[in-house]
Amino acid sequence: MSHDRELRKGSAEVLILSLLDERDRHGYELAKLIDQRSDGALKFHVASLYPTLYRLERRGLIQGRWVEKSGQRRKRFYRLTAEGQKMLTSQRRSWSTFFAALNRVARIRHA
Amino acid sequence: MPDWKTLIRARVAPLAGLDAARETDILDELAQHVAEDYGELVASGLTESEATERALAPLDNPSHVAAEIARADRPRVAAPIPPSEQSNLLVDLGRDVRYAARLLWRTPAFTAVALITLALGIGANSAIFSVLNAVLLRPLPYTFPERLVMIGDRGPDGAAGNVGYTTFLDWRDRSHSFEEMAVVRSWTPTLAANGEPERINGMRVSANFFHTLGVRPALGRDFRIDEDTPASWKMVILSDGLWRRQFNADSSAIGRVISMNDQQFIIIGVMPASFEPLISERFYRRAEMWALVGYDRSQPSACRSCQHLKAIGRIKAGVSLDNAIRDIEGVQTQLRREFPGDYSRDLMTAIPIAQVLTGDVRPALWVLMGAVGFVLLIACANLANLMLARLARREHDLALRAALGASRSRLVRQLLVESALIAVGSAVLGIGLGAIAVPALVRMAPATMSRMVNATLDWRVLGFSEAPAVATAIIFGLVPAIRASRINLQGSLHGDTRKTAHAPTSLARRVLVAADVALAVVLLVGAGLMIKSVGRLLEVHPGFDPDHVLTMQVSMVGQAYRMDEAVAMKTDAILAKLRALPGVEAVATAGQIPLGGNGDTWGFHVEHRTWGPEDPSVERYSVTPDYFSVMRIPLRRGRLITDADRSGVDRIMVLGERAAQRIWPKEDPIGQRVKIGGFEGPWYTIVGIVGDVHHQALSAATTLQMYTSQAQLTDSFLTIVIRAAGDPSALASEARRAIWSVASDVPVYEVAPLESLVAKSVGPRRFMMVLLDLFAAVALLMTAVGVYGVIACSVAERTREIGIRAALGASSIDIVRLVVGGGLAVVGGGLAAGVVAALGVTRYLEGSLYNVSATDPSTFAGVAIALLVVALTAQSVPVIRAIRVDPTVALRDE
Repeated sequence: MSHDRELRKGSAEVLILSLLDERDRHGYELAKLIDQRSDGALKFHVASLYPTLYRLERRGLIQGRWVEKSGQRRKRFYRLTAEGQKMLTSQRRSWSTFFAALNRVARIRHA
Repeated sequence: MPDWKTLIRARVAPLAGLDAARETDILDELAQHVAEDYGELVASGLTESEATERALAPLDNPSHVAAEIARADRPRVAAPIPPSEQSNLLVDLGRDVRYAARLLWRTPAFTAVALITLALGIGANSAIFSVLNAVLLRPLPYTFPERLVMIGDRGPDGAAGNVGYTTFLDWRDRSHSFEEMAVVRSWTPTLAANGEPERINGMRVSANFFHTLGVRPALGRDFRIDEDTPASWKMVILSDGLWRRQFNADSSAIGRVISMNDQQFIIIGVMPASFEPLISERFYRRAEMWALVGYDRSQPSACRSCQHLKAIGRIKAGVSLDNAIRDIEGVQTQLRREFPGDYSRDLMTAIPIAQVLTGDVRPALWVLMGAVGFVLLIACANLANLMLARLARREHDLALRAALGASRSRLVRQLLVESALIAVGSAVLGIGLGAIAVPALVRMAPATMSRMVNATLDWRVLGFSEAPAVATAIIFGLVPAIRASRINLQGSLHGDTRKTAHAPTSLARRVLVAADVALAVVLLVGAGLMIKSVGRLLEVHPGFDPDHVLTMQVSMVGQAYRMDEAVAMKTDAILAKLRALPGVEAVATAGQIPLGGNGDTWGFHVEHRTWGPEDPSVERYSVTPDYFSVMRIPLRRGRLITDADRSGVDRIMVLGERAAQRIWPKEDPIGQRVKIGGFEGPWYTIVGIVGDVHHQALSAATTLQMYTSQAQLTDSFLTIVIRAAGDPSALASEARRAIWSVASDVPVYEVAPLESLVAKSVGPRRFMMVLLDLFAAVALLMTAVGVYGVIACSVAERTREIGIRAALGASSIDIVRLVVGGGLAVVGGGLAAGVVAALGVTRYLEGSLYNVSATDPSTFAGVAIALLVVALTAQSVPVIRAIRVDPTVALRDE
């Protein structure tokens, strides 16, 4: 697997986990939010988002549940588990360290 | 809005390895996502089709998506197995079974057809085999039955003839190959135990009869040799049934004296309930009482030529059948030399008792067994076909599972579990079908298959019929499984399965369908020949008119009927009473009637000719004058019997046509005089000639027949025939009451419309015909399913080819020709093979055919046409589907 893909995969996970840290969300909402908040720089489509979600779920970091409202398609909402919470904290820390290092070496600033 | 789930399922169809619920969840979730995308795209101004395309674009690489999802999700399916359970085969097996069950549940059409096909095969097989087992395979209920034989001179049909008592004694004393030799004759005493007189079907037997069979009474004792004399024979052994019916199963019945035919008999024993009186059933009627023969050499009825006994022998252990026959032939040669006037030149024979008892039905049952074997083969071929077709559809799925890490053994095991489930399911259904079919068969069975009442689905039957069926299912499951393990993964995943990957499978399936057709041809030809046979048989005119005639038997025996005059008077009284009943047109009695199951042939000695053992034997009917009008037997020449032909005047006789022609080929028989039976009796003058009747069976040639006047040659066992204006059965109880009003001591039995006797004569053939028809119908149905399956699959596989052809301008007719042509080649091949096979097989049916050749061309042609029509009909649905193939859709599908 290329570094690029590894990087994207790792970043996808931290993106999803942090969005779920705010509140429970369904898949489409996650994709939309990532798109909007990155000003379209990061895009997840159906074929890449869901395998990631399932992988996270399998590892026990998030948990999905079906929510049905009358007159609407049922939606699957994901929430962060305690395990996921721990993982998010540790990932934030390592990404932070990573970006600091990048910045120091390659002069890439991060906001 | 498009149906997203279907669209997505088409793209990520092979989410194989996931359970059904999980797959649904994933599809729901993806559909929900795509739907929201689509909504936004449409809102942003795209057309619906553009929006659809865009929303689905991320799923354009379906196998990648599927693989990604499956990989991410895989542990859900194969959850990490704890080490302790890792090698637990049962856990794995349970999982495989659940998975296979779910897959089968999701393809209900396949599952139903597979289950029903095989279940029909198994059910038919177990039903017929249970009959075969009961009638032919289960050993006779006697000790070492293989050493029991029937001995006699060899008749034209190969059967052993009767023997006279003195001859029997000489055989017994002079032969060395037999441990025991016994004789039997029929006996029908009238028992007046509880009010109404009951005629009992019994046998007179030599004292060693039961000992010869190797059976003994359950209660009381057997006969003793020293009791078998004219002075001391009046003792009886009862059947268990009679003992229960007439004596309430009272053990004190032993020693009781009963009165029959005005004679006193002492009951000395009761046979066990398990004893089967098969010899009486085969030759007379199922016996319920046995008394001694009670002859000695001095009696007139014990004479050498008085052949009314049947001899049974038990061959000594270690002596071959051939040697036993040679031995008895040697004795007979001596007797022929010593008493030249008493014996014919016929050779002797000894026939194993099993063959004697079941000889008539043996070929019929084997034919039926063969037929159900064919049904099972067709079922198996169809199942194999279905499985191959299913495999073709699942190759992609299997390839993906292999790519995702499933080992080959795992895939093979999975497929095997599937076929095992089908096998077990159909076995259970098949047993159910068999359990319903066996009692139905027993009810339908002709009287000649009496041992059929014992037909049950025991372990042996199940073992026989289930084992091969289950084995076939598994073997045919294995073939696809092995093929699956060799699937070209790359090809399958790239979706080029529609090109050449199936060539061998498709060839195998065509061969299987051709085999289906061939097997069906054989079955249909067999059924067709039987239908024609029974039809021809029913067209045979019996020589009399059975419509509206009631028959009932009476016997006038005992002290009161010692004199012929008493019988004649009582007969007249009975006839007068019956004639007076409303609805009765005419009444008569006869000593025996055609198709009634009796035989009474007498030696026939013509005046001015040399008399000897080679004189003709003629069927004798002692009748009252109205007999010919009741039976509507036509007078050909001369006159019929009249009231004037009473005792005291010159005896007369009416002859059947065939007898007249055979005995007087060149002279006029009318006016000729003959003696019948022995050489000493009175002369009979022939006064008339009537049409022949079929006496033994519709299928048998007419015998030589003569009619004497009941008043001149009086029989005590009579059949009353009543021609009714309306339904003859409605007269039965009134007629019985009328008889008892003038003769309370006369038992009335075997009351039946004459028509039913005719029907009974056709019974065994009809039984075979009905069953063969049934199997042929099943075969035809299965063949239709098989042809449909193959053509439908071939259309599905060739959708692209058909699309291209259509796009290049092929007309509907071209496409029909393409599809039907392939199908017809298969059917034609099967037909040709089937006709060749049928030509070889139907000769086994020859013995059961009547007036129809086993290679009857019209039957063969009819079957071929019927099968072609069925095959064409089965193809019509896929053909219509092929015509409707839309080139653009077919091509985009790639």
